[in-house]
Formats: sequence, structure tokens, C-alpha cells
Amino acid sequence: MSLLSDPLSVVFILSSLMSVVAAVLIVHHKSIVYSAFFLSILGVGNAILFTLLGFPIIALFHLSVYVGAAVTFILFSVVMLKEAPVVEPPVKALAVIAAGVLALIMMKIFSVFTAEPSFFLNYRDLTALLVTKYWFALIVAAIALVTTLIEAITLARREV
Amino acid sequence: MEAAWFLFVSSILFAIGIYGLLTRRNMIRMLLSAEIIFNAALLAFLSLASLDAGYGPVGGAIVVIAISLSAAEVGVIVSIAIMMFRMRRALDVYELKKFRG
Repeated sequence: MSLLSDPLSVVFILSSLMSVVAAVLIVHHKSIVYSAFFLSILGVGNAILFTLLGFPIIALFHLSVYVGAAVTFILFSVVMLKEAPVVEPPVKALAVIAAGVLALIMMKIFSVFTAEPSFFLNYRDLTALLVTKYWFALIVAAIALVTTLIEAITLARREV
Repeated sequence: MEAAWFLFVSSILFAIGIYGLLTRRNMIRMLLSAEIIFNAALLAFLSLASLDAGYGPVGGAIVVIAISLSAAEVGVIVSIAIMMFRMRRALDVYELKKFRG
């Protein structure tokens, strides 16, 4: 009851549910196009969770670059592709057991972290860190994004 | 709200992604499952980074770079999938064996 009286907890519960349901639909939906659409819903849910953790700038970046570019790229690409068959049921049962055991182990490990996040990311700190300490990684990421752009243009011109 | 709750959500997303990766043979569906795992990893990373004010900006910087590289990785895999579909008219990853040298 006390959990529901806190607005942030309600937002957390709703965004978590949104993310988990979207993830299940990504894996199980018949249409691959809808699966790609649900990936964008998962991205939005995760962005809300990032904001709750004190990273609103990262959430905006996630929405603009990941949901706005990467997921949209997948969505428009999968329109031209067909579905392939899934693996036979015994493997499916094993996969359910493996995933369930993995989730339980991770939850057991993560249950140690009982502290509450009390952090709010300052964009000045972030940009200062990016241009001083992580400048090389930033250049590599920029080159990788340019490469993706070239790939997209090549695909659009049907040169492969 | 304890950090453990965010990490629990991350664990569930990770498990769903692993399930999808193990049970699907369609290349795009495998990519989407890998993206679920990527989202779970980002959530876990930021949850842990938010616990310490000193590591917060470092976590944020690494996640910004990770998201950029993920966008590039999506481009590469989708390009391979489209090329494969044009050559074989299928996206079954078992067909990829036939692409060997």
C-alpha cells in the first residue's frame, strides 16, 4: 500500500511492466514488424527507468539515438524480409529452464544492493568526462556511426 | 526505491533476451533478442553507477558510447541480413553455414 502511495514507485512499476511486456512480445509476436515496433516500446520504458535513476540526459540520448535511429532502421528494414521457422520444442523447454535459472541467479546476486540511488547526472560533468578522459572512445563511436550511415546508403542504392 | 528493484527488472529482461536468442533461428529475431539483452545490460549498469556519486558520470559516459556503438552494430547486422535475404531468400541462421569462404 505504501509503495503505491509514492508517485515515483507507481511510475517505476508501470515502466517496468511496460518494458517486460514489450520484451515478451518482441520474442513471441508472430509478425517480425510488430516485434521491431515493440523494441521501441522497450526503449521508451527503459528511458523512463533511466530518468528515475537520475540519468535524464542518458534517457534523452537513448530515445533519440537508440529508439529514434537504430530501432527505426530495423523497423524499416524488416518490412522487406520474411519469417524463418523456430527451433523444435525440446530446445524451447531447455531454453525456458536456462533463462529461468539465469534470472533467479541474477536476482539472488542483485538482492545485495539495497541502497537507494541518490544521484542526478549533471550534463557538464558528462561532457567534460567525454571530451577529456573518453575522447578516443567518442571518436571510435562517431566513426562507427558514420560507417552505419554509409551502409544504409549502400543498401538504399542496392549495391550489395 | 532500492537499486535492487531496477536490477530485478534488468534480470527479467536479460532472461527473456536469452530465451529469445536460444529459441529463434530468424536472424532479425535473434538481433531483437540481443537488443533486449543490451537494454537489460544498460539498465543494470546505470543502476549500479547511480549508487555512487563518483562513478555516476563515468557510468553515463560509458553508456552514451555503448548506445552509439549499438546503433552501429544494428546497422551492420541488418545489412548482413538483407544481403543474405537477397542471395538465399531466407533469414534462417543455419543457412549462414553455406556462406563460408
